Amino acid sequence: MDTVSTDVLIIGGGPSGLATAIHLADRLKEKGLAHRILLIEKGSSIGSHILSGAVVKPEVFKELLPGVDFSEIPFNARVTKDRTILLGKHRSITLPFHIPYMNNSGNYTASLGQLCKYLAIKAQEKGVEIYTGFAIDEILCRDGKVIGAKTKDTGVDHHGHPLENFQPGTRVEARITIFAEGTRGSLAKMLIKKFDLTNGKNEQVYSLGCKELWSVPEGNIGAGHVYHTMGYPLDNDEFGGGFIYGLNDHKVAIGLVVGLDYKDPSFDVHDAMQIWKTTSFVSRILKGGRLLEYGAKTLPEGGYYAIPKLYTDNAMIVGDSAGMLAMPALKGVHLAIKSGMLAAQTAAEALANNDSSEKSLQQYETLINNSWIRKELYPVRNFRQGFEKGLILGGLHFGTQFITGGAGFFGRLRSHPDYKATVKLSELKKKPFKERFKGKLEFDKALTFDKATDIYHSGVHHDEQQVVHLHINNPENFQEVNIEQYDAPEQFLCSSEVYELHTNKAGKKELRIHAENCMHCRTCDIKSPGDGITWMVPNGGNGPEFQEM
Amino acid sequence: MALTIISLIKQVPVPGEMKMGEDGLMERTKSKSIINIDCQFGLEAGLQLRKLHPGSRLIVCSMGPASFENALRTAISMGYDEAYLLSDRKLGGSDTYATGLAISTMLQHLGFTKDSPDPFIILAGRQTSDGDTAHVPSQVAERIGIPQATFVERVEADGAGNVIAKRIIEGGYQMMKLPMPCVISLTPTGIPPRKPSLSGAIKARNLKITTFGIDDIGLGTEKIGINGSPTIVVKVVDIVSERPPIIMSAGHNEASLVDSLIANFIKGGNVLEKKEKEARKEAERPDFPEKDFRDGARGIITWAEVTNGKISRPSLELLTPARNLANLLGNDTKVVTLIIGKDVRPMAQTLIEHGSDEVILVDNERLEEYLVLPFSSIFAQVIRERKPEIALFAATTSGRELAPRIGMKTDSGVTADCTGLGIGEYVDKKEKVIYTPILESRRPTYGESKLATILGFVCPQISTARAGTFEVPQLVSGKQGIVSTFTPVLTEKDFVVEILKTERGEGGLQSLFEADIIIAGGRGTTNDSLGLIKGLADALTGQGIKAEWSSSRPVVDEGVAEYARQVGQTGKTLRPKVYIAVGISGAIQHIAGMKESEKIIAVDHNPKANIFHHADFGIVGEYQDILPELIERVKAGFTFGIEAKK
Repeated sequence: MDTVSTDVLIIGGGPSGLATAIHLADRLKEKGLAHRILLIEKGSSIGSHILSGAVVKPEVFKELLPGVDFSEIPFNARVTKDRTILLGKHRSITLPFHIPYMNNSGNYTASLGQLCKYLAIKAQEKGVEIYTGFAIDEILCRDGKVIGAKTKDTGVDHHGHPLENFQPGTRVEARITIFAEGTRGSLAKMLIKKFDLTNGKNEQVYSLGCKELWSVPEGNIGAGHVYHTMGYPLDNDEFGGGFIYGLNDHKVAIGLVVGLDYKDPSFDVHDAMQIWKTTSFVSRILKGGRLLEYGAKTLPEGGYYAIPKLYTDNAMIVGDSAGMLAMPALKGVHLAIKSGMLAAQTAAEALANNDSSEKSLQQYETLINNSWIRKELYPVRNFRQGFEKGLILGGLHFGTQFITGGAGFFGRLRSHPDYKATVKLSELKKKPFKERFKGKLEFDKALTFDKATDIYHSGVHHDEQQVVHLHINNPENFQEVNIEQYDAPEQFLCSSEVYELHTNKAGKKELRIHAENCMHCRTCDIKSPGDGITWMVPNGGNGPEFQEM
Repeated sequence: MALTIISLIKQVPVPGEMKMGEDGLMERTKSKSIINIDCQFGLEAGLQLRKLHPGSRLIVCSMGPASFENALRTAISMGYDEAYLLSDRKLGGSDTYATGLAISTMLQHLGFTKDSPDPFIILAGRQTSDGDTAHVPSQVAERIGIPQATFVERVEADGAGNVIAKRIIEGGYQMMKLPMPCVISLTPTGIPPRKPSLSGAIKARNLKITTFGIDDIGLGTEKIGINGSPTIVVKVVDIVSERPPIIMSAGHNEASLVDSLIANFIKGGNVLEKKEKEARKEAERPDFPEKDFRDGARGIITWAEVTNGKISRPSLELLTPARNLANLLGNDTKVVTLIIGKDVRPMAQTLIEHGSDEVILVDNERLEEYLVLPFSSIFAQVIRERKPEIALFAATTSGRELAPRIGMKTDSGVTADCTGLGIGEYVDKKEKVIYTPILESRRPTYGESKLATILGFVCPQISTARAGTFEVPQLVSGKQGIVSTFTPVLTEKDFVVEILKTERGEGGLQSLFEADIIIAGGRGTTNDSLGLIKGLADALTGQGIKAEWSSSRPVVDEGVAEYARQVGQTGKTLRPKVYIAVGISGAIQHIAGMKESEKIIAVDHNPKANIFHHADFGIVGEYQDILPELIERVKAGFTFGIEAKK
């Protein structure tokens, strides 16, 4: 097995990882230090696994790239219209005011994938080495401290046994390793567990966002027109809403984001989004258009109290892996970039002082607490937890938080892991999803699509020759709990038809896993009840091939 | 002396993203690119060879624009040591002959000649996904003057300066022993290519790739580029074959899904509609003088391939276009067939009765089995003596390596895997002449989405014709013709390649063409070694139906089915009344081989499988569930509307 050495290893080529790389290169240059920075991304290219709404706050890009002509940054349209719509089953009302923290004036619509491609070019200009299409599945430790990571062995059969074309992974030994894998990163998860980094913190809670990119006839929506919808098809006890962002070239990004603390085991975010598209408000915008791309991702919504301890000896966590997301605006890009910059600042100091111990890296936390990250996150620290009791109570509570500066009437609110919110169908106190939307689940393949058609538009592929990357943690318990008691929620919670419940003629039920469809959204890892499912990283270069998501 | 392994690779657009420029040539700049799949298998074969021969030097070479450096760096990241690129604007528009010439000149420049004191092996992919010709490996071997084995799936070196290759032949395979140096082309049925390693990618990032221009390697412009190539592409039209939308079966378990399929099938409704978009109106024929470029060459020669002591069916099919071309050329143009082998005289009459005017016999007991070196040498000698204007070969694995090797000897281009052959003319606006008559060879290209017409300007004009495309001509029993013999000059050098073993399965081939129902098993059906696929075929046979089973490429790769049962490019083209594709994802090559079936039923667990875009009826489900159900129904009398032949 080959070993390579570097000063800094960054795992993940999204906005936080790229920002870390860029800012670290800048800081080291300032200090006159030459160091090696390796950034490794599992997608086949930078941007292929990046998905976001997105409406982004542009200021942080000026911070990250001082001296770069702002117009060079490939944002899409500037926001020129920003409305919040309350959707009912039959009609919609435009709210006459903005929900606090949801004002988008001065912001830009964007394809985050395109922005990342741009950032990768900038990083490479600064000497960062970027390698795409490599999956990392192991954290290397020595004496209980992180010393790097190892890329995945490839050329193995379904059981992991080497085949003739076995290619061993490469050990990357690094003085500092930065975990920038995105939401629920598989390595960050291991790191957090190994070093108990969530001790005393809230459980992280998540939303799943399904997104489609459409090309629509001219006049359907203006570039820079931004709509957020509340209400239909979500119930009072389901947290979330829709977004519609008008882009240049008659394109429009649409999606539905739903909190994964929903109760109904048969709830299906993808299908809910299709129903959402049939409302007259949304369907009018899509009329005559054509689907270009589909994708899905999860968002960490736990907020300030759910951010784990972000550092240990020789390692830091940034971006979505760190839970950097501001509610209720659902914006994380600027926080991801900022957290990456602060981690970079810390790393640069550590390298200069030749001290990357936990004590030295504690500076990262200090920097965050002194930055606008805390200023943004702290006032809404109780936002999401407040909604565990439903939208009306949550809304009321959010109102009081707004008045009291975030504390609400109860101080710090606890949260519970999302999978624990799922109830058995027999205990569900409302109509299950399929009954609730009876007659609306026949997709016409023009406006609405089944999952199979949608995932075809994600370009997803996975090598046949590898261990199935979705691991049922306890198969016996899974059959009993997930299939028999909960009626296999996996078949509905999955954004991309990975899980299929098959009942044969004799009535025997079994869950079949079509790992080749996986969008890497991690919902199964988060929401599967019982002992659940572990999402492991598949071969590098596998997964979706997003173009402009 | 340490062994050197040279891999020839080509960068190609990702299949499905291929675009074509206005000039009918591949637009290489815009689409996303990968290393051609077959070439990736060649790369892996090299890495496998090094496992057995540590210390071997691994070199990767390519020819193309500067962007091909990406492919070379990928090869380095897989484990190769050095990379060379031949890149020159003057090479633009080169056909396979010119490409073979240019690449072999680069290799010779690097010191890899037939007299090289150090052993080396040149590995290549069987064919490219954008060109599909499979010519270049043969042409490189001929040009350097070394032996070759093409369509190889396993390659080893014996440590005594020989290469042992497992070569696919019609209906089976052959083990061959070749002395080094030699050229081996790999089918995508060997060991799948490994993934790059990170350490390799880091090495690739920093490696200097040596780039040559044609002057660097001493290659003149005479025989390269669009002007030097013996063949040109003159016309490309879209192939449009539209099926009405698929009818999917609905049901909640296998029984109801099969019920639904049968109900839909009986209802029918889906009829194959075939449209061929015609090219835009031809420009008016200018008033240029006509030029006969044939320089006295006359007549058509075909090759009769002998397998298992019989003339192979594709060689008989060939006599249909040969006769047609002779009629179009007029002037009493003769069809001459060359047959090489042991005790072949009795077969001459069969050829004559199928349409040959003359049969030339080369009877030699050392030539019982096909070998490219003596066969190409004999063919070239016959061509020199007889001066035919056209030479036709069946596009079998033998025909497809023999034709380009001969083409290199006679400086003629070759058109591969044709589905249409005609006689036309070519208006040269620059020279202001009209070349007539000229062979028009039509072949599907760009992943079977286009039909290209290719012309050659050097006689003989050589083409290979896809098996299954033409009908075997009506037999006229008692027809008279000339039978002559030819005694070639052969040397021991023509027999340096030794056949160690020949394995040919029985049946398969013929019965596949005659079956009314074909059940094809794909990668997804091999858990029980195609037991259920064969079971369905057997059940139908039991009902008195002419049914057969076939497979897609990956199944052949896994060794579960023999090559003779492979459907699709370089496999077979079949047109049964009902084609049932099970567990087949629908790779474009497979689709090409079955899309003209009357009715197509697809069964696959993956609802987004491409096969469903090309079928009339579909079931989404696991084959283990669906097929037993279907077998039961067949046993109860359902035979897909085909009448039993008692």
